[in-house]
Amino acid sequence: MTTMIIRTFVMLAIAGTLAVQSVGAQGAADRTKVLRAAADALGMVRWSDIGSATTRLPGIDIVNTMEFQGSGTSEVAGRTFKTEYHAALGYNPLAMRVEVTRTPQDGGAAQHTIRTVRDSYAWDESQIGGGLVPGKGTATPAATAVQERLLELWTLPYGVVKAALAAGEKTVVSTEGGVSVITFPLAGPLAGVTVKATLDAKNFVTKVETRPDNPARANLATETDYSNYADRAEVLTDIKSPGRIVRRQGGRTILDIEVKGWESNNPYLVFPVPANVKAGR
Amino acid sequence: MHSSRRTIAAAAAISLVVAAVVVAQEPARRTNNAPPKPSGATPRASDGHPDLTGVWNGLGDNLNGVPNQIANNGVLIESESSARDLHSGLAITVFPRNTTRALNSEEAERAAALLRRSGSNRPIYKPEYWEMVKNFDHNANEEDPSNNCMPAGVPRGGIPSYISQQPNHVMLVYPGQGGLIATQTMYRMVPLDGRQHTPLQELDGTYTGESIGRWEGDTLVIDSWGFNPNTWFDQIGGYFHGENMHVVERYRREGNTLTWTATVEDPDVLLEPWTTTPRVALLNPRANAMLPESQPCSERDLSHIVTKEHH
Repeated sequence: MTTMIIRTFVMLAIAGTLAVQSVGAQGAADRTKVLRAAADALGMVRWSDIGSATTRLPGIDIVNTMEFQGSGTSEVAGRTFKTEYHAALGYNPLAMRVEVTRTPQDGGAAQHTIRTVRDSYAWDESQIGGGLVPGKGTATPAATAVQERLLELWTLPYGVVKAALAAGEKTVVSTEGGVSVITFPLAGPLAGVTVKATLDAKNFVTKVETRPDNPARANLATETDYSNYADRAEVLTDIKSPGRIVRRQGGRTILDIEVKGWESNNPYLVFPVPANVKAGR
Repeated sequence: MHSSRRTIAAAAAISLVVAAVVVAQEPARRTNNAPPKPSGATPRASDGHPDLTGVWNGLGDNLNGVPNQIANNGVLIESESSARDLHSGLAITVFPRNTTRALNSEEAERAAALLRRSGSNRPIYKPEYWEMVKNFDHNANEEDPSNNCMPAGVPRGGIPSYISQQPNHVMLVYPGQGGLIATQTMYRMVPLDGRQHTPLQELDGTYTGESIGRWEGDTLVIDSWGFNPNTWFDQIGGYFHGENMHVVERYRREGNTLTWTATVEDPDVLLEPWTTTPRVALLNPRANAMLPESQPCSERDLSHIVTKEHH
């Protein structure tokens, strides 16, 4: 009797282990399939067939630098502004420069800001590239803004796919309401923030929610909707970009823009860190 | 019935043999764009320096194709599961091809344009030139100075296809080509006799500048200035320069490979010097290797281009 119980226990343990391995393998396969589908929908995967009679290179993630402009509205401290939004960004190195011109809808002077981040540095520029050449603008360090600015980069559709791929086995895919959902943790300065991205039936990233594990970092809790995907580049690339971006925080819509153009041909965009920012001055 | 089985068996055997022959005849395909590893001894000239003489066109290694252009711009695809950016060291995600269909020309051009621009090794211009550089690249079909059969210049010409090394000079030959950079044949005679540069203000700018060579150990260093501003200094990117550009090239032969880098200084437009990603050429091993005649450069495509797409 004892032998039989032990045998049954061992068999159950083996079956359980195999089941877990099977679920794990299935999970990995699903993750690979869903992330590939999302990357393909955005046009992120390319290989070369030119001059390659003797080569057969695999595909790689070709998204590095991008630039887009849009206009719409934004809300700051309860005030609504007509907003012109211009973003230049790169994933290698990790950097983003956001130039925003806000005109209060209830009257008042327009506000113009240039917020930049690169790796672990954040600063505000008085003009594009301010602070790099003496006498040509200033750069004001904004060290406390690093996380918030990096979050904007990682919550763009391409950032979501890149970060989910980088998170490896920590990335979980599931199905909610018949569509794929990708959940993964961010790393580096954004460790402790979880991203939940929802894909539509065409595998485009349509909703990105971020949740910090610490209530003190509530500024990192955001929701962004992306819709109306198309190739918006003047130099066509087959990379699809969203035509509308709506970002919410704390139940309020803080940005709602229609995208006018999205250059995706890895344009020349650079983000050198001014010496005074490196020195923390 | 038995006859039928024998026929099937014979057909199967023949199929296997044919398949084996086909597989054997198909050239091995590279699934990476890693530079070739050196092999063989490095020959020495009578003065003891490495002898760079030879035809450096790689012989069928596709060094002029887009895969190598991608490597030139700093993206190293090491295998079917690994790639990285050489400048930053950052890993790049690799995906298997999900179709056996060949890309059509439009897809291939767009892919090539993206692949060649995805690396991180970019010269840092002064901010007032950022828009200009971006627009040059954006409108490269019209703006690229080499598109109208002009010389590629230095350092855009890259590694010469032929080098003749003499005790007091080296001769560098760059055949003209269509495709990636449609440009005319270019040659440079670079003295190695210890002379000094002519003062910059006394030089009329040229496409290849005034070049003077010297040996630093086993590395041939060619120092050039005295350029005109009519070239871009890399194959992509709209990287213009001024008349005060100073270029230092380094050539190092190891066995049957030649590694080349160029550092560009131009304080008028650049915030800091910029160095190319190292490029590697393979020696043509044939004893009777020759450079074929360059086709006459005649720009015929430009007037038919209706979009801004380029590779």
